[in-house]
Amino acid sequence: MANIKIFLLILLLIFSNLSISAEESDNVTTSSVDFETSNYEDEIYDPLESFNRAIFKFNNVADRIVLEPVAKGYRKLPSPVQSGISNFLSNLRTPLVIANQLLQGQGKNAAESTGRFVVNTTAGVLGIVDVAEKIGLEEKEEDFGQTLATWGVGDGFYIVLPIFGPSNIRDTAGMVMTYVTDPINAYAISEGEAWLIPLRTATNAVDQRSKIIDEVNALRDNSVDYYAAVRSSYYQNRKASILNTDDSELTPLPLISIEFE
Amino acid sequence: MKYFFKIFFIIVLFSSYCVKADEVSNWLKGEIDTILDSYKNPSLSNFKRFELIEKTINNNFAGTGIAKFVAGESWQNASKVEKKDYIRLFKRHLALNIASLMQGYSDQNYELTNSKYDSKNKVSLIDMKIINETGNLLVTWRVKKSKNRNYVIDLIVADISLVVTKRSEFNSMLKKVNYNLLEFNKILDAQNESSYSIIIGN
Repeated sequence: MANIKIFLLILLLIFSNLSISAEESDNVTTSSVDFETSNYEDEIYDPLESFNRAIFKFNNVADRIVLEPVAKGYRKLPSPVQSGISNFLSNLRTPLVIANQLLQGQGKNAAESTGRFVVNTTAGVLGIVDVAEKIGLEEKEEDFGQTLATWGVGDGFYIVLPIFGPSNIRDTAGMVMTYVTDPINAYAISEGEAWLIPLRTATNAVDQRSKIIDEVNALRDNSVDYYAAVRSSYYQNRKASILNTDDSELTPLPLISIEFE
Repeated sequence: MKYFFKIFFIIVLFSSYCVKADEVSNWLKGEIDTILDSYKNPSLSNFKRFELIEKTINNNFAGTGIAKFVAGESWQNASKVEKKDYIRLFKRHLALNIASLMQGYSDQNYELTNSKYDSKNKVSLIDMKIINETGNLLVTWRVKKSKNRNYVIDLIVADISLVVTKRSEFNSMLKKVNYNLLEFNKILDAQNESSYSIIIGN
């Protein structure tokens, strides 16, 4: 008898759960003031906007004339060649990634990145083949800008750097720290081969650009204000990198009602 | 026995969320395939292709809700006619944006890797992995259900929300026209013309 009661209770729960689902779908909010109730950071602190827009315009022209065509050419290379270059560059960044993971107190990630570096530098032929990923050691990026943010340093104002593109004061400081402390750069300078630094930077830029040709073009061709769209995208992307959380949880949920006309 | 029923009860609750998310995934896959297949069909003219894509997007995106959200504070002071015109233009703008983005993915494979239901916000989150030999890209679709139908309310590409970006972009332009929706509609119309000519010309 007791079991029958429990069985009936379960049945009731199953059906009530289904009816709750149906109710939910029928009662999606349709309030016309939904859009006002969200707490978005609509305004990004950009006191140098006029100056930034001028630099942005210059960068955009440089991108169209130089970077994009080179990136498109790069994308025509055989996939293994592109992957090899990308992996090699990524491996060169790893020592600083490890340092930043330690500075952020991410011991486990630092240990994994160290494992990645050792495996890829040896078995992966100087990092050309990403052997580490195949054994479950995934790539995780960290930089000085993220470390400073983790330590509580604010964004500062938004700035567009010539050639380097969107940034803010904190991330620009982080970028300078990267260049100053990078062991590969230090080695190149000590060996009298400083020319390798701009070559590495340029190759990295082409590699990164080649991965987002379609996304950048979609944004550029369809924006009423391309500058503002890039600024917003930069902040969203950096925020996700700093917090290291799942994007779907991180990105604020717009309170959007569904209306029928 | 008591524990068995407790566990059973938890499984029932959990599975109902999984079923909900899977059902949304199946629906979404069908709609994505409609768009991507149109790019692979050489017999379709660019005009016809966009017409089909626009129809699919208008049917499946919460266009009006997104439009209002993106308009921000300019919405309140606008007249009924301006709002109606704005929604019409925004829907086309949204279709042009999605079509342009999806065009880039048409020659790549994808898979829906993860789906979950956010019961607090009543939103399904579907992860889509664009598979590329040189690196994968993660796209998350946010889907809300209304009157037994699913509607996409946002698209997040590599941590960047389409809706949040559009709101920021529109806000910047609206500021320049003192949040006058009538003036903004002219700018949006011109942008749509330009985007349309690129899509059709391609």
